[in-house]
Amino acid sequence: MGSPVVKKTEKINAAERMLNLLALLSARSQPITLKQIRAELLNQYSEDNEAARAQFERDKSDLRKLGIPIDMLTLGGAQAGETAYRVNRNNYELTDMGFTDEELRALQVAAATVRLGAQEGEQALWKLGAERVNPKLGPRASIGFSDPHLGTILDAISKRAAVNFIYKGETRSVDAYGMLARKGFWYLVGFDHLRKAQRVFRVDRIESGVTVGKAKSYTMPKNLDIVKAVPTDRQMMAAGDYEHPTAQVRIDASLVHIVTSDFGAGAIVRSEPDGAAIFEIPCSNGYAFRLWLFAMVDKAEVVAPDDVRELAMRWLDELAAGV
Amino acid sequence: MAKKGVTKTAKKTVKKTVKKPAKQPAKKRAVARGSKRRGPRSASERVAGLLVLLPWLMKRKRVRLAEVAKQFRMSEADLVADLQMAAVCGVPPYTPDALIDVFIDDGWVVAEIPTFFSRPLRLTSAEMYAIVAMVRAAQKLPGAPSRSVLTQAVVKLARLAPDATDAPLHIDLPDAPHLEELRTAENDLAELRIEYFNPARSEVAQRTIRVMRIFSDHGHWYVMADDDKSGAIRNFRVDRIQSLVRTGKIYHQADVASRINDDDDDHGWFGDNLELVTLRVRDDAAWIAEAYPTVSRTHNRDGSTDVSLRITSEHWLARLLLRGGRNVAVLTPEKYVTLGARTAKAVRSKYD
Repeated sequence: MGSPVVKKTEKINAAERMLNLLALLSARSQPITLKQIRAELLNQYSEDNEAARAQFERDKSDLRKLGIPIDMLTLGGAQAGETAYRVNRNNYELTDMGFTDEELRALQVAAATVRLGAQEGEQALWKLGAERVNPKLGPRASIGFSDPHLGTILDAISKRAAVNFIYKGETRSVDAYGMLARKGFWYLVGFDHLRKAQRVFRVDRIESGVTVGKAKSYTMPKNLDIVKAVPTDRQMMAAGDYEHPTAQVRIDASLVHIVTSDFGAGAIVRSEPDGAAIFEIPCSNGYAFRLWLFAMVDKAEVVAPDDVRELAMRWLDELAAGV
Repeated sequence: MAKKGVTKTAKKTVKKTVKKPAKQPAKKRAVARGSKRRGPRSASERVAGLLVLLPWLMKRKRVRLAEVAKQFRMSEADLVADLQMAAVCGVPPYTPDALIDVFIDDGWVVAEIPTFFSRPLRLTSAEMYAIVAMVRAAQKLPGAPSRSVLTQAVVKLARLAPDATDAPLHIDLPDAPHLEELRTAENDLAELRIEYFNPARSEVAQRTIRVMRIFSDHGHWYVMADDDKSGAIRNFRVDRIQSLVRTGKIYHQADVASRINDDDDDHGWFGDNLELVTLRVRDDAAWIAEAYPTVSRTHNRDGSTDVSLRITSEHWLARLLLRGGRNVAVLTPEKYVTLGARTAKAVRSKYD
């Protein structure tokens, strides 16, 4: 082996020191004390004992945050009471996954066609040995995965641990059953102990941090369909207590195509000579119905029943009163 | 051992000869900034990045510096600084064979001998869920390649964390008619004639388009296309396409590909030339602040929110105001303050 390379004596940067510390702790088969670490990493930690301890604690904490467990052992014998440190590579390194090139390519394409808006997807890809690619063709989906609550809730679900958070000003404790990404939002389906019933929560509307309770505190309901448990916009229009479950709405010819694809041809009551059509539309939830109706501005008009028609006129009158 | 000496010499030489990358043009700099790195990176960030980068490089052994920087969304200057730092790290006595074996040689990053950090870190649970979410969404995409291969990959991932891959995480992508026809047209470079309902004007018009990209966002499929009518690139919502036929013309991919910026994450939704309005929304109109890309959002003490957003037309704003009802008000510009009321009056007249 050649002569040792003399380490520079000037102040070493913290990143270099952290890498050296990790390399040292991973390479040694026996745990070593801070005193030994300082002797090995000559001039990398402060000469002042207190300052060196603070630097070391910071490095240790940062490495742990990166997912590197650092074992601590209290020594006996001549070093009784001293703490020694060790890193077992097997505890933080990824084992060989045995991915074929074809599987890695498929994962790369998946990552390129699904935009998460979060770095985790790319990080995972690189760790698996794959890379970011940019296919020129094909549909791409955006599902958004940047909400920090997602990982916490998904972890809790896998452990069957209840999650606790504030929602609409109330503290909820929820046995989380599953999550659904739909229309740019994430929904949590679970048993809400406050309401004593299954409820759906929009994750971005959680008003606090999410804390996780004890593992294995509940069992999953059988045959629960998470996708069906979250009502669609169309189902929301039918979910209410308004006395009229449906209304007949005249839709201008230019929009008949779109309304038919949303509600099906079965919703058409009759077609008119100018291409317009009368649709039977759920309106039990007045708020959802109003949002849908006014999205068409003057291309949609409630024709029956009279109560719903008058309600629409009243909404418009209230708003027009501002002129 | 002699080889290591050569390697180390190469490192030292490189350190002297590595040139500071040429100053990047403004656009490139903006992309680098987009990697969430503002200001100096912390030691922890640099180490975290290297622990992902080094095993990735060691698997490949030689990769062009520019490619590595692009792949990891780093500036070349940051990448060179990190690699130079890594090259002097290792274990005592810090002889060449006890250092991380990575160096830069004539524009290439070389990491041929795995000494330290040759295996990647384990996936965090968030990374595991992210990749499962990506795979599940990708498997639902029309024309998605290798569905069975992706399934095999997930089976292998399950060995790492069975609970995560079994995660009750569901992706509901929207259905849209014409999606498959658009996909094959893009594939065949076939020009299309569409009948399209434009909500900004409440009218159906014919357009001739050349598909540049198909994507979903907030529950709708869109096609980004060259539009003959405006001569510009436009996003069309696929469910508003009422009919679609091929014109018979085939275009060259280069004609459209050169106009796409692959680092453009916002799909070019709204340009700065569009009019900016500020709305005050409250209660059951609060969805407006969530449903559209906003320039700014300010929460007020009374529970309302002031939202600034760009509008595509007066008609589009009128529609938004009608839907928001009395819980949305225009703050600026002045000319739109009564637009909601005027629109309601006009729609109300149909009921007379």
